[in-house]
Amino acid sequence: MSRRLAASSAIIAALAILAIPARPARRPHYGGTLRVEIGSTVNSLDPARAAANPADATVEREIESLIYEKQNADGSLAGVAGSGPFRISEWEPGKRLTLAANDDFPGGRPFVDSIEIDMGRSAHDRLVDLGLGRTDFSEIPAEDARQASGLGVRVSATQPDELIAIAFLPGHSAADDVRLREAVADSINRAAIVDFILQKEGEAAGGLLPQWSSGTAFLFPTTPDTVHAKELRSQIAGSSEIRLGYDSGDALEESIAERIAVDAHEAGITVATDAIAPGANAGRNDARLVRARMSSAKPGEALTSILSALDRAAGIDVAPLRNLDSAEQIYAAGRGALDGFHLVPVVWVPQVYGLSDRVRDWETPAAGESWPLADVWLDPGAATKN
Amino acid sequence: MTFRAKLFFVFTLALLVSVGVIVAGVTINTRRAFDTLNAEHTNALLAQFQREFDRRKVEVVNRVHGVAEDQGTVTMAMNLARPGADVSVYVNDAREVAQAHQLDFLDFLGDDGSIISSYEWPARFGYKLAWVTQPQDWSSVGAFLTKVDTQDGPAIGLLSVTPIRVGDKNLYVVGGERLDKQFLSELVLPEGMRALLYLNLDSQFQAGDLVDVNGPVTQPDPFTATISDELARPTERSFTIPYTIEAGAAERFHALPLQGRDGELLGVLLVGNSQRDLVAIERHIAMLGAAVAGGGLLLGLLLSWWAAARVTRPVKKLADGAQRVSHGDLGSRVEVRGPAEMMQLANSFNRMTDQLNEQRERLVQAERVAAWRELARRLAHELKNPLFPLQTTVQNMQRAKEIDPSQFEEVFRESTGILLSEIDNLKKIISRFSDFARMPQPELAAVNLNDLARSTTKLFESQFSAVGRPPITSELHLNADLPAVQADSTLLRKALENLVLNAMDAMPAGGVLMLRTTAQDGGVHLEVSDTGTGLTPEECDRLFTPYYTTKQHGTGLGLAIVQSVVSDHGGRISVESEHGVGTSFHIFLPMKPPPRPPDHAPANGDGA
Repeated sequence: MSRRLAASSAIIAALAILAIPARPARRPHYGGTLRVEIGSTVNSLDPARAAANPADATVEREIESLIYEKQNADGSLAGVAGSGPFRISEWEPGKRLTLAANDDFPGGRPFVDSIEIDMGRSAHDRLVDLGLGRTDFSEIPAEDARQASGLGVRVSATQPDELIAIAFLPGHSAADDVRLREAVADSINRAAIVDFILQKEGEAAGGLLPQWSSGTAFLFPTTPDTVHAKELRSQIAGSSEIRLGYDSGDALEESIAERIAVDAHEAGITVATDAIAPGANAGRNDARLVRARMSSAKPGEALTSILSALDRAAGIDVAPLRNLDSAEQIYAAGRGALDGFHLVPVVWVPQVYGLSDRVRDWETPAAGESWPLADVWLDPGAATKN
Repeated sequence: MTFRAKLFFVFTLALLVSVGVIVAGVTINTRRAFDTLNAEHTNALLAQFQREFDRRKVEVVNRVHGVAEDQGTVTMAMNLARPGADVSVYVNDAREVAQAHQLDFLDFLGDDGSIISSYEWPARFGYKLAWVTQPQDWSSVGAFLTKVDTQDGPAIGLLSVTPIRVGDKNLYVVGGERLDKQFLSELVLPEGMRALLYLNLDSQFQAGDLVDVNGPVTQPDPFTATISDELARPTERSFTIPYTIEAGAAERFHALPLQGRDGELLGVLLVGNSQRDLVAIERHIAMLGAAVAGGGLLLGLLLSWWAAARVTRPVKKLADGAQRVSHGDLGSRVEVRGPAEMMQLANSFNRMTDQLNEQRERLVQAERVAAWRELARRLAHELKNPLFPLQTTVQNMQRAKEIDPSQFEEVFRESTGILLSEIDNLKKIISRFSDFARMPQPELAAVNLNDLARSTTKLFESQFSAVGRPPITSELHLNADLPAVQADSTLLRKALENLVLNAMDAMPAGGVLMLRTTAQDGGVHLEVSDTGTGLTPEECDRLFTPYYTTKQHGTGLGLAIVQSVVSDHGGRISVESEHGVGTSFHIFLPMKPPPRPPDHAPANGDGA
């Protein structure tokens, strides 16, 4: 536990206790401004991009879902800005966005009058603001969920729906040997990553679908087999080094990459980690960590979306999936995609949100669903801290 | 080479050797002194390093104890002692604690040695450090060197372990400092010294693992061999790295192996001492020594010259005196002032010349006596022969007058004839002796020896081929360019005739008479050789002695006359003879005889 945060936890907890309403509201209340903080910066809103990449679950897409009406059968956004439950009131690209309730929205006017979105807030600042009640809604890194709870923050986590995996990049000789890739896969202690890095917020990943979605994830081994990894390594001549890249702005990926390096080192494999700047070419890396989020709770659609995301992220060429009607077919497709160990699933990570106490009727979104901010209302009886 | 030069050379050599020995001694002692100083510096630094190392150990132990006594750590230990405790919540704790306690390494380990949180390698959680859980009284171990695996690779650390026991479970706190350039930079070194640290992180020498206060050493190659030896056989050793041919650029190092708890070699501390100052001082001393030696040498040379002159001066006087004596000046005396030995030697020399003088006088007297005796003997012998017939003839005449007067007339006539004949012989004998005694002074004129030789040979040609005797052949080898000499031709002719007669007497069975003239430096050379029976060495020695002869009827004056003539011309005569081969006489005449002393009276019959 971070001692710095631990030291302030007592204060935050005390403030949180003071903020708890004596009696929660029973009926929805219209009005109020929902304060939202996000880590990324949004500079443009374009539903066409979301339509082109339906599985690309970004914060932009979440915001676009608030201002565009859903009209397509596949859930893609359509229409004009402001056709959704909210319309843009103020817009400072990259900094702040204010949305006002759309009284003419066919689905009904949202409960809150407006939403203020502050951008570029660090995870630490968001966590503190949540703890101090300065914001009503924010994303929390999965690995900080436990800490946030310890700070008295109201935490909501989805089912683990985002896969973090190693993608061995095509055309890199260092990772050409399937035995080396398999040895790396065998060496990874996924449970340790879930327990220590994710603070138990997640699930070890052996396959391309989580257990809660497919029901067959247990068939994919997730426990480390260091003995087998060493045996495979011993069959490989020379001292091949694998350069494993990760997103330089992603602390979770960095921690996971470092742990993979430790586990591989125990198996006699040298894995050097390498931060890749956003937009930079990962050309000198033999492999990189990639994230792929499920676009649906349905396993067939989820598998398709996952593979599509991995393809986009790492150029993994996967044969088109067909006949994903039954669990067996989905399992076989998932198993086939992992043949050759070009893809090595590591962990499933949930989406974790922090909420203030005055947010009511929050329903944790399922895989593929957007933030339900149009459906929540703010309890005026709950004390605000700002 | 003169005695003085030799003596000077010996003095100089002795001086050079002495100066060389002194300079060498000073140089060696200086070097030893500097080596000792060097070693003391190095030992002082090593002792300082050891003290610093011990201080660091204590400091590390205290810091790790401080971590163990931290409230957060105690709370962690208590929580982890509970059944089903979740260790994952502490996975990031080590970083902040390590920074707060200024530790380079910090690990929290569970009861089984599993890493709960690691500062130096955060992602290493869950792995075990089995050596920590081995039965060990960590409080008595203190800090120790060990290899530490970090996120950036292996490192060498000075670690301490403090267990916190709660119930039946331990929480191990393992922390310490990194042994690196920062560690070196905190060592206080004297000027001219530096410390290097080789971290034994690989199976063999790696240049990048050799660091100084600025990081990896810029010139690691010179250390390769020594450090490789050190890795193979860890021991304290000293070595010198020359870097360049310039002696001042060299650096002397002392290697101190750094070993871990189990004796494994973890690093090598190299304490270097620049030789620049040492070499500068040595050169200064050498130059000073050279200057002193040069000055001393110069002074020594002068003293040697003076001493040699002082020592040899009386010797030279003695040598000069001896030379004068050798030239016949037996009255020469030597006056020497100096050491008692030299004065004693001079006195001995003077006594010796006195004795020589006396002996010469005695010898002259003896020779005179002997000469007179020889003369008397020869005269008696020569005169006795004619006296006997004279006596017999007179007695015959007396008997004839008394016995038969009628025949007296006839006897008288025959006897007087005999008497006259014998008296004539006596005259001849007396005449020869008289001639020898009355050798005249040379009357000098230009004389060509070639002409003299030709005329003399011609004079005897009839006798060479006389009837009744074996023939003698004459050979003339005359130098056509022979210069004329100032000489008395009559005397020289007489001498040459004597030599020719002597050669004819030596060749009763015939032979070859050879005359040769050659020009020599400052004079001419005349050789008269025969192929006669030759002479013995003893005969050669006495050949020129007056009245000595090897012939039955010789007077012994012929060769004495030859020697006298040659001597009166300032020349020399010598003889070479080999028995059965022949005899050669060599006469050397100067171009002009030296002036004779005025008191040198000519030899005459009355002379002594």
